[in-house]
Amino acid sequence: MKKFGAFILIGFLVSEIALGQMERRRTVTDEPLEVFLTMSLITMSTTSNLQKNNMNSTIMHNFGLVSTGIEEFWGLDQGAAVRLGIDYGITDRFSVGIGRTSREDNVDLRFKYMLLQQMKSDKVPVEVSIKGDIGINTQEERRFDPSFQDRLNMFGSVAVARRFSDSFSFQVAPMVSHFNTVVIETADQDPEHTHYGAGFGGEYRFNLKHSVSFEYFAVLGDRTKGTKNPMAVSWQIDTGGHVFQMFFMSGNWFTEQHLLARTTNDFFAGDFRLGFNVNRVFGLK
Amino acid sequence: MKKLILTAFLLTISIHGYSQSYFTDSGTVVFHSKVPLHTFSGTSENLTGLIDLEKRTVDFYLDLATLDTGNGKRDKDMRLTLDTENHPFGEFFGKITSEFNPDLEEAQDVTVEGVFKIHGKEQNIEVTGKLTPEGDQLNLTAGWILKLEDYEIEPPKLLFIKVDQEQEIEINAVLKIRGES
Repeated sequence: MKKFGAFILIGFLVSEIALGQMERRRTVTDEPLEVFLTMSLITMSTTSNLQKNNMNSTIMHNFGLVSTGIEEFWGLDQGAAVRLGIDYGITDRFSVGIGRTSREDNVDLRFKYMLLQQMKSDKVPVEVSIKGDIGINTQEERRFDPSFQDRLNMFGSVAVARRFSDSFSFQVAPMVSHFNTVVIETADQDPEHTHYGAGFGGEYRFNLKHSVSFEYFAVLGDRTKGTKNPMAVSWQIDTGGHVFQMFFMSGNWFTEQHLLARTTNDFFAGDFRLGFNVNRVFGLK
Repeated sequence: MKKLILTAFLLTISIHGYSQSYFTDSGTVVFHSKVPLHTFSGTSENLTGLIDLEKRTVDFYLDLATLDTGNGKRDKDMRLTLDTENHPFGEFFGKITSEFNPDLEEAQDVTVEGVFKIHGKEQNIEVTGKLTPEGDQLNLTAGWILKLEDYEIEPPKLLFIKVDQEQEIEINAVLKIRGES
């Protein structure tokens, strides 16, 4: 054993003399995992965040219900609802964003802060992010005269996610939404200003380019009568520069507070609509 | 056996002891990919290098995961393209083949020839640069063109990403003297 050890030592020393090459040492010994491809699964915020000085632009669309059939060209004739948004990475963990949704001319400001980042070594086994969003309904209101405060809607969540393998990631997100004003659409509605819920979402990557994702919002406790739990499934194409998401969703909003509180269609009853998102990240420095 | 080990050890010490070598672990590497509308650069400040003037050897390596293009998504794609998981280093080992006078404190053109390895593939290359002795340090600037196909690096064949086949590489480093103890 001693002879073997001596042989190894001599071999090492002689080879160093002969080659004069340094031992190669990794500078990066551990790194964060990319748990999700995008900042939002479809509409639900993921734990993933932007790198510092990166800007993400998102264009989100959805149409009418597919169940309208050929007469409405499966919902496409009903026109698109659109949310245009940008997010900016202040640090590698903290981002801020702004967006505008064509429905009710809702302008929303949001932030996301990543508390924990899952590491390749599994030293940190999960990713945890908190998200806040405050929206302002800027649509002209003819029925009454709401104040600025009356027009506000809010959302908060804590998302916990894990990338279980090279292919599969999953997250759970307790959440709350609140509307300062709730307009009763039908006489028998008993509106709730605040909804609590849990979001479940996942992503499965077939390869570098193609993946599927899903999201499901479960309202917990009291809810506005007639509302349903929103759900969406998406096909994602990562082109390197863009991530395209083509999806079916039961809700017709893009902001989570609205989805949680105001979705009236049931995905499992066949009431879903076609939509697509385009995500693009720019490095600004 | 003990004598043999001692001899090998002393031989190593003696060679290292008398060699005049310069070292850095904070050199800068910049690469430029120039395609209209898709031009970008990547930078790392973790270039590790050793120049031994006695043996006239030049040894540099970089942990490729330290390259930063300023876009997190592009960095991820670059690491996948370079397969940094299995081939973490870009490295060069060669010899100085031109004249160089370490006592002359001015920029001198220097040529080195050796093997550059990246993505698990090797090529013999010749690089010209400038070495400037300055007190107990050597200032180095050099550059060359890296052809991706020479190292079987395939840029992502996706819709929008365009990567130039020829990447301009620049290195800058200040190497401090070591090994005269």
